[in-house]
Amino acid sequence: MSAGDLLFGICSVLCVTGALIVVLAKNPIRGAMGLLSTIIGIAGLFLRLNAQFLAAMQLLVYAGAVVILFVFVVMLLGPNAAVTDRGQKGATASRMIGALLIGLIGAGALRLFTGLETHSFTTIGPEHGSVEAVGGMIFNEALVPFELATVLLIVAVVGAIAVARTVPSAKKKPVVDNPTLRMFHGPLHPRDAERPLDGRLLTEIAINKESV
Amino acid sequence: MELLSQIFPAQDFSLLGVILGLPAIGALVNGLFGKRLGKEAVTLMALSAIGGAFIAAVTSFCMLQHASEGAHEHVRFYYKAWEWLSLKGQGPGVADFRDVRLDVAFSLDALNATMCLVITGIGFLIHLYSSKYMEHDPGYYRFFTYLNLFVFSMLVLVLGDSLPILFVGWEGVGLCSYLLIGFWFSEEANASAGKKAFITNRIGDFGLLVAMGLLAYYVGALDWVGIDEGRGQLLKAVKIWPVGDHVPIANLMPEGVKASLNEARYVSRATLVALALFLGAMGKSAQFILHVWLPDAMAGPTPVSALIHAATMVTAGVYLLCRLSGVMVLSPTAMFIVAAFGAFTAFFAATVALVQNDIKKVLAYSTVSQLGYMFLGVGVGAFTAGFFHVLTHAFFKACLFLGAGSVIHAMHARIHDTDQSQDMRNMGGMAKFMPGTFITFVAAWAAIVGTPLTSGFFSKDEILYKAKTSFITGPDQIPVAEMRSLSIDNFVWTESMGTGLYLVGWAAAIMTAFYMTRLVIGTFLGDFKGWKIVDGWQDPHAHDAHGHDAHDVHGHDHDTHGHDHDGHADDVPHHHHETPGVDHMDGPVPHESPWQMTLPLWILGGLAAFAGFFNAGALYHITHAESLISLEHWLHPVFSSASQVVQERESAHGFFWVGLSLAIVAWLSGVLFAGWMYIQKQGVPAAQLQARFPQVHAFLFDKWRVDEFYQETVIGALDSLAEICVWFDRWVVDGILARASAFLISLVGALLRQFQNGRVQTYSAFTAFGLFLVGCYVITPHDAARVTSNHLTGKYAIAATPGFGYSYRWDADGDEKGEWDSKKFGSRAEVDFDLEVNATRVVRLQVMNALGAVNEQKFEITRPAPSADEQPALRLEMTEEGLKQARPRAAGRDAARPGIGQPSAGPTGQMRPTAPGKQHPPTLDRRAAPHGASPSHGAEH
Amino acid sequence: MNLSTVIEHYLFLSTVVFTIGAIGFLVRRNILVQLMSIELMLNSVNLLLVAFNRQHTSNMSGQMFAFFIIAVAAAEVAVGLAIVLQFYRLRATVNSDKATELRH
Repeated sequence: MSAGDLLFGICSVLCVTGALIVVLAKNPIRGAMGLLSTIIGIAGLFLRLNAQFLAAMQLLVYAGAVVILFVFVVMLLGPNAAVTDRGQKGATASRMIGALLIGLIGAGALRLFTGLETHSFTTIGPEHGSVEAVGGMIFNEALVPFELATVLLIVAVVGAIAVARTVPSAKKKPVVDNPTLRMFHGPLHPRDAERPLDGRLLTEIAINKESV
Repeated sequence: MELLSQIFPAQDFSLLGVILGLPAIGALVNGLFGKRLGKEAVTLMALSAIGGAFIAAVTSFCMLQHASEGAHEHVRFYYKAWEWLSLKGQGPGVADFRDVRLDVAFSLDALNATMCLVITGIGFLIHLYSSKYMEHDPGYYRFFTYLNLFVFSMLVLVLGDSLPILFVGWEGVGLCSYLLIGFWFSEEANASAGKKAFITNRIGDFGLLVAMGLLAYYVGALDWVGIDEGRGQLLKAVKIWPVGDHVPIANLMPEGVKASLNEARYVSRATLVALALFLGAMGKSAQFILHVWLPDAMAGPTPVSALIHAATMVTAGVYLLCRLSGVMVLSPTAMFIVAAFGAFTAFFAATVALVQNDIKKVLAYSTVSQLGYMFLGVGVGAFTAGFFHVLTHAFFKACLFLGAGSVIHAMHARIHDTDQSQDMRNMGGMAKFMPGTFITFVAAWAAIVGTPLTSGFFSKDEILYKAKTSFITGPDQIPVAEMRSLSIDNFVWTESMGTGLYLVGWAAAIMTAFYMTRLVIGTFLGDFKGWKIVDGWQDPHAHDAHGHDAHDVHGHDHDTHGHDHDGHADDVPHHHHETPGVDHMDGPVPHESPWQMTLPLWILGGLAAFAGFFNAGALYHITHAESLISLEHWLHPVFSSASQVVQERESAHGFFWVGLSLAIVAWLSGVLFAGWMYIQKQGVPAAQLQARFPQVHAFLFDKWRVDEFYQETVIGALDSLAEICVWFDRWVVDGILARASAFLISLVGALLRQFQNGRVQTYSAFTAFGLFLVGCYVITPHDAARVTSNHLTGKYAIAATPGFGYSYRWDADGDEKGEWDSKKFGSRAEVDFDLEVNATRVVRLQVMNALGAVNEQKFEITRPAPSADEQPALRLEMTEEGLKQARPRAAGRDAARPGIGQPSAGPTGQMRPTAPGKQHPPTLDRRAAPHGASPSHGAEH
Repeated sequence: MNLSTVIEHYLFLSTVVFTIGAIGFLVRRNILVQLMSIELMLNSVNLLLVAFNRQHTSNMSGQMFAFFIIAVAAAEVAVGLAIVLQFYRLRATVNSDKATELRH
């Protein structure tokens, strides 16, 4: 067993355990951590497969952005991020498909471990999978998809903002819990008797020409 | 006359166009512009149209008379307006591809000329009459339009030269009858009466259409000349039973019944045609079964009843039978049926008329009865007598109807309700108020009851005489062998049948005399029972609803009073709650009608009295003066071909005096009995009889309940059919087709809706499943194999495509035993073998993929013989040295192998062609003999 | 068993991760966990692509494709999480069973 195989083993264990944690954990933060583990494992496997550039990208984008996003959202949701999984309706179909997929794993395992012919890797130089190689491919053959991906990312940014934006409700006045106000809950001067303090700025009052 | 004959030659007699065109123009102008023209102009237009037509008809009549003076054959003036169409067909009477031509053509001969005179003459008089009768009707112009249209259609009917043109006129008069009966259509009863007339007519029209079809098929012609020429074709027999070879249900019956069911029955074609024609005539002329429309037709204005239902339209049936007399007499069976129906109709209608109280109803049933006489006359072969009765009936019945109209007109001075104003029980004693009407009515009465020397006497007596003594012989041409015992054409007209017809007719004559006398007495004699006559009485309800004056100046010296004519239309139903009767109402003096109404009465009354001398058959028998039967001579050429088979019994001569005396007995007994009962006894015995036999009275009064019978059976059947259709529509179409299918679809929808639970995971689960199925389909094992073939060395290799999880099984040993090389699937993906020249090996390959799906492929590899022909491009001009050089090399090579083959497209199967093998230079001297291939062509494979 | 890694190992691993991701997506109710499962599946596919690219080295199309998948997946996660936030604002939960507006 060479070092490469050892790396393969460790990374695959990372991947699988991470995946299992994602799927099985009740707390979504734990799920996010599991996802992170999977991603790191996959990055390691990319390195093993002579995809250096891609490994770096994987870590930058996935581990550095996607997982962070997940964590942000989980924290925004607070305690409501966890959901009970009891009392599901219509889960039969899902379970059947799940069973089918496990069957798929079984078939794969069968294939791997029953001695059918396997194909090993050829040796290859370090320029395969380097930044130049991948970059050359992208900017020569796949320039248009690259630009389109750029557009897609811009649209996604705009879309995310548009979807997640809160529309400010027009006439809702926020309930102000102003400690300063609470200290002065009565008029300071008799002339202010008809002018209660309600948290509006004086400038607002002046602009809107409202009566105090 | 000569000038006229030059202007209107006999073959292009455009005067017929004038006769037809004038009423048509009148109808058109009045119809389109009548409202704008105003009453006087409409009257002028209509009257001048008919008057002009009458003058033209008289002119034509005189010209025809002049032309037929010396002629021995049937003189006919012919006028073709235009060619219409022609039918190509096949039939026994129609030679192959001969045309049956239908042209819009008219012809005038003795028969139609007389009819034309009657139609236009009486039509003119009735137009004159209606100009006063309908004076206050808001639909005045419409009435004259319809009247003109009617006269036009009737003229088309009688002047038509062929059955289709006659049929056009036939339908036209049916239409006009509908329009005129339902003239005051805002009353539902009137509209229904119009519909009834039209529909009943239509049933008869079906018969006429069938007759036309049969004639076109058998005889091959539809015009009178053609039918007369070809009518011999009708003497053949037609099998009418069973249709096909046998009756289907006969197999279930016992033997005797089966034999008689399957026995073929024949009738002659003439019988079929004649019966179909009679059906048509029955509808139009109100014979027994289809008579139901005529009494209801009294809902129309009285001039309409006079013109249409007395003088012209109802005689169209008689005209049809007279016109086609040549066809009718070919079937004695049908003629007897016609006569029997006629006699029965005469009897039946007379019984109903005995108890009716409405004047117009009595006259209507009288019309039906007299029509029965006409058919009786025509049926026994006395065409002239029947036709003469048409003429005399036109005169006296029109006079009677117009007189009745005059009386009703007078009754409307006080009684506005239609039924009450026509009820005889409200009349009486009109003679002193309306003397002119009374005298003419009596003249017509005398004619109809058969007073000797009146027209009615001569015509009716002649018919009865002929009924007893005349009969039709069967034509000899029908082969007896084709007649079976139950065929209806084995008909022999016995003397007793004639006697039976005579007796029925005679009984009807007695009843005719009785009820007509009752009518006259009830209306004109005795005391007036309508209202209490108060001089100077004014109608407090003078109706101005129609914008016309409440006062009418009638032109005679009566106190003017306001009242409405019965012509004011019953759009506004009158609810005069006063019941008529001397004690119940006050009213004015009933008055005589204006001259426009009485003049036609006088003319018609005179004709009714004296027109008998045109065909005074009885007198002729006594005196034998030829001038007394001028009509018979006049019509002789028309009926000559028919009269050949009409024969007289030997007992005829002796019967003459008996018949004459019986006729006078009938007249006297009827008249005197009615006089005794109603004048002397004031109708008391009649009331007693009614009380003693109420069911008989009710039966007669309800017109033998024929209408109710039709309502129950025919209309009931149609209603049931409608119910079935409603049920079908509701349950099958709506239920099964509409609702059930919708239910099915909603069921499927409800089922499918369960899959839409809104959860994305379910959707993706199904997507994954679908993808799996697609994958299964995609992952079928590929069994393409790559064949490497080397025809030179004879080495062949087949390599199967590799795939994930594939395993292979070969059968490549060439032993053709169909066994696989190894039972198990192995992983050997390639086989190779050698082949001899011209050898073939079939290699089979089975591929199984990891999922166990197996596919098989068969390869047939042949090693072709090397073809001797090389490519012509390689035929080089070789020098001697080259040949020498080439030969040893070629010899050496060829020794090892017999020929050189050109590698070509390999064996069948999905293979890629291999590169061709090496070419050898041609060997020139070894070419021809061993292989026999021609050197000049390319290699053939 | 051959201990040197061959491509079948990578295929198997990819399958396992994919299956786990698929089952997680189908079974779990938490929208965030579903999104993470989607990420698992995408990653497994990336692994597969790169592994095949390592086997057939004529060009870099596998890695390039994986690169694009990473980019698109990032965009998709961004938008998806925005939707989750908005959903949370409407329903106060991230239970995907509550997202049944399109139910029949």
